[in-house]
Amino acid sequence: MNCRYELREALLTLDDLGLSLGGKPILSGVSACVRNVTRPGVLQGQVVGVLGPSGVGKTQLFRLLSGLTLPDRGRVLVGPKQEPVARGQVGVVAQAYPLFEHYSVLQNLVVAARQHGLDKAEARKQAAEMLARFALQECASAYPATLSGGQRQRVAIAQQLIRPKPLLLMDEPFSGLDLGMVRAVCALLAEVSLHDEELTTVIVTHDISAALSVADTLWLLGRPRETDGTCQGARIVHTIDLMERGLAWHPDVTHAPAFESTKREVEQRFATL
Amino acid sequence: MSLLRFIEPNRATSRGELRVLAAIWLGALLLGWACSASGLLPTPAEVLRALRSLVFEQGLLAHLSSSLYTSLLALVWASALSALLCYAAVVPALRPLAVLVGNLRFWGFAGVSVAFTLWFHGGRDLKVALLTFGMTGFFVTGLHDELSLIPRERYEYARALGMSEWRVVWEVVILGTCDRFLDLMRQNAAMGWMLLTMVEALVRSDGGIGVLLANQSKHLDLASIAALQGVIFGVGLLQDLALATLKRVLCPWAFLKVEDESHELSL
Repeated sequence: MNCRYELREALLTLDDLGLSLGGKPILSGVSACVRNVTRPGVLQGQVVGVLGPSGVGKTQLFRLLSGLTLPDRGRVLVGPKQEPVARGQVGVVAQAYPLFEHYSVLQNLVVAARQHGLDKAEARKQAAEMLARFALQECASAYPATLSGGQRQRVAIAQQLIRPKPLLLMDEPFSGLDLGMVRAVCALLAEVSLHDEELTTVIVTHDISAALSVADTLWLLGRPRETDGTCQGARIVHTIDLMERGLAWHPDVTHAPAFESTKREVEQRFATL
Repeated sequence: MSLLRFIEPNRATSRGELRVLAAIWLGALLLGWACSASGLLPTPAEVLRALRSLVFEQGLLAHLSSSLYTSLLALVWASALSALLCYAAVVPALRPLAVLVGNLRFWGFAGVSVAFTLWFHGGRDLKVALLTFGMTGFFVTGLHDELSLIPRERYEYARALGMSEWRVVWEVVILGTCDRFLDLMRQNAAMGWMLLTMVEALVRSDGGIGVLLANQSKHLDLASIAALQGVIFGVGLLQDLALATLKRVLCPWAFLKVEDESHELSL
């Protein structure tokens, strides 16, 4: 499949990020840039898959991107104006899909909307729109404890996207799901990415196939050894452009000719991370 | 359907089955009591007669309402003080206060009663103060433990929504744990109710069911003592039920998680 696209202004910049915890370097020299992808006739957001072995520092990178942790070095710039990231400015969907258990689904959305300065009536209107967009109208008055895993995930995403955000971070959205559910989540993420031209979704995952199915770019996070044998912390060691390979925005990407070869390539690279 | 299934280990039971089993046990206990010929244990008929005398001749209901009022005041004070201390502990400078007050549960009750008598001079205020002291140490310890168990992810979730730290305290620490607060209130109400008779026997002004119990104990009126114990037990259970209902009304979400799971060994 060949799609015409253009790369325009930077929407997410990781500028030489470094982070140490307890004197141990976790991330070092993490640099990358996501540019606005434009396609004719489509509101196309950007989707980046972050892959890396367990313990490499994916969660810490996630925290830096969310603004919940400040880097020791470097900066994260988001949006078309490339402003330094601040907490609350980007959407964060954690692995367990936390929600306020003491509020109904509708109230969870209203709380998030009001947090961004909307009055009560406008917040309820926006919340109702998000419920409709994510097919959650029937759950509006339900408490989170009664939701299925899929519904909970949709509420968590809806809550984060109720106000326009430059960045949506998702931590392990495919973890513990069967194949059917992984496909459903990929479809949901594809739908989310088609809603806002300037929204960049960053998915931290272990699932290579799912990341290939939904992302337009892959970042492989690894911990390379320096020439003297020391390790200075993890950084993005490979960037794979899936748009260039014709694997982005593909309706049936798993059957695309380049899918299996790219998957094998990622697996081989993964083993060296 | 075989009755043998009720003696199978680890077998799940429905709520209805559990109620039937509880009724059978209660009936067996009442029957055993009615048939017992021990001179130490008054018969059900003697207890009922003593109860009638307590109600119509010795003002049981007035004493009971006095006790309930004292207990309620102490519960409100203990809950308010514990909440204030524990929620204030989100500020590091105030954290040691909660730990200190929590450790007061090891402080002797007897010595405190002298100091409190000098301070409050007696009456209901003294009883409320003693009960509040007795409950607060345990309440603070329980609430402090509950708050320290809140996972870091919940704080970060609220922060990621752009909430200020005080808003995080309100949503995550206070509202997010209010079901557990009500559980602790329920436990401490039970403890306060148990302590009440002791405190009322110690401070006899303003009456109370503890005063009645002390009087009957002095005269070794076993039937009246049994009747009063039955009243204390029944009112304690009703108080517990009222607080459980309050939790069900105020925090309906707290029951949803439990109801969806199977009750293997639920009592």
